[in-house]
Amino acid sequence: MAVVEQQSNIPAYVATRPQSEALLALRRTALLVLRVVLYTILTLIFLVPFIWMIFGSVRDEKEIFQYLYPFSWHTFFPVHWTLEHYMDILGISDAGKRFGLNFGRNLLNSAIVSTGVVICSLLFNTMGAYFFARLNFPKKNWLLAFVLVTLFVPLEVTMVPLYIVVRALHLQNSYWAMIVPWFASPFVIFALIQYFRDIPYELDEAALLDGASYFRILRTIIVPLAIPGLVTMALLEFQFIWNLFYWPLIAVQDNNLQVLQVAISSQTTQQQTFWGRTFAGSALASVPVIIIFLALQRYYIRGVASTGIKG
Amino acid sequence: MYERPGSRGFFTWRRRQLLLAFLFVVPALINFTVFRYIPILASIRASLYQYSLLGGYGDFIGLDHYARMLHDPTFWTSLRVTTLFVIYKVPIQIVLSLALAVFLQRETIGAGIVRSAILTPMVTSIIVVSILWAMMYHSQQGLIQSMLNAVGIPRQAFLSDARRALPAVTVMMIWKDLGFSMIILLAGLKAIPQTYYEAALVDGANAWEAFRRVTIPLLMPVLMFVIVTQAIFSFQVFVPVYQMTKGGPQDSTKVLVYYIYQQGFRFQDMGYASALSVVALVILIVVSYLLMRWLQPQT
Repeated sequence: MAVVEQQSNIPAYVATRPQSEALLALRRTALLVLRVVLYTILTLIFLVPFIWMIFGSVRDEKEIFQYLYPFSWHTFFPVHWTLEHYMDILGISDAGKRFGLNFGRNLLNSAIVSTGVVICSLLFNTMGAYFFARLNFPKKNWLLAFVLVTLFVPLEVTMVPLYIVVRALHLQNSYWAMIVPWFASPFVIFALIQYFRDIPYELDEAALLDGASYFRILRTIIVPLAIPGLVTMALLEFQFIWNLFYWPLIAVQDNNLQVLQVAISSQTTQQQTFWGRTFAGSALASVPVIIIFLALQRYYIRGVASTGIKG
Repeated sequence: MYERPGSRGFFTWRRRQLLLAFLFVVPALINFTVFRYIPILASIRASLYQYSLLGGYGDFIGLDHYARMLHDPTFWTSLRVTTLFVIYKVPIQIVLSLALAVFLQRETIGAGIVRSAILTPMVTSIIVVSILWAMMYHSQQGLIQSMLNAVGIPRQAFLSDARRALPAVTVMMIWKDLGFSMIILLAGLKAIPQTYYEAALVDGANAWEAFRRVTIPLLMPVLMFVIVTQAIFSFQVFVPVYQMTKGGPQDSTKVLVYYIYQQGFRFQDMGYASALSVVALVILIVVSYLLMRWLQPQT
């Protein structure tokens, strides 16, 4: 992608109109105010549900409904702060124990599965991408086509078929079921091939003449030079697997193995829904990830923009 | 084939190198074979049998599942609901994200903050988003009721009203996916050379004309990519329906993937669920092919 000088063109059109100084200044101020107002409205539209969730998770249950009408400051902002809902869902408080809640365990499961997938994915996709970007092999393009066609295998539509296979392998209802199907990804291989091709091949050649093995070249030359690409891919893969819902829902029945996303969902489908606990569970499942992504936004945007991957 | 001195028999030096190279790609190839290709074949096979999760494979019944589909009103309803969802969602989302991409492309702190805000729903899991919005849409205690109340509009039913449930889910999904299409369009906008705009300016074009004659044509390949991928993703919507409406009220939100899930895991009819999956897959392939054909000549 060509990097172009970033400058906005719109004011240029405005500025070319012959107008008096005062009018121009007025117009500029009006545009600025309009812009700020629009920015604020847009930000609120996208953040209000999260604000509601976070504040709702740290206030008394009855407060959530008490201040709903009329719409006011306290519709969002707690009067009495409490961490009770978090104690409940983590099974620390008595009420939480009585309901058999143990989101800590589900959180751990999510962490295990995500870590497993990200590590496997980094290892096997890096090896695969290295093969396609660097190594000689007869009919390599056919193999690449074999890999890239799977880009077009739609995810949700093939969940039932995937389940049939995983069941036939007797992997269902285990961590393996949640990790093994995702240990390689056509998206990641495709993206990493682009990153690897940017590394000069002369480095490989020199190492090959020195008698270095393929694996050694990959480890000592390619990987260190492709760190930004690898970070981006790890991030995207982590988001994909952490947020996955449909697959763990059908692949795992044992609540002790279940991931957080499914656990919070099943909590809401019981006869009585506790809003405070639901808020707390949702916050637990989303806020850490949101923070990671906002902090590493640059990598993330570049990754999405370059490959069009969706989590 | 020439042999280096010291190599033995079958394992010539060259073959050994090829084998070593192949080892790098073997794990990925195995993964794609077992978890991407075989499932499709397995579902084609399962669709020809009586097959339930509890009972396993039963009788071979040929194309009976496919024949059943023709006379299954719920299948046709689900196809209609899914199509409506895609038709509601994709055009609105594309127009909004293009407008936002143009509006927010400047590199200022303010625009950066708004972009981050729009990105937040995108990185949040779809299940959390569905849970939150179901609570916001709640007919008594929902936040949206409170906001409507503040501007003098009486309580409305959203998810429990058969006419409003699908639009309500659509609004939420546009909100969630807007960030994704915006990021890609922003990257597309950045790739348009500034000189093109300058040339348009010299020709006396105003901002709107420059947008229509420079931005849109040059952005067309990116726009096409976004439209096709969003159509494919949207066609497979599942989680919001599972969490918010369970396909109701009166099947008004029963999308195809949810119906497949119901047949396979609620009614234990894996054979029929497989047949439905195969049909959904074929529809997706045909639709994405047609979309690409239809959008290609304009680029």
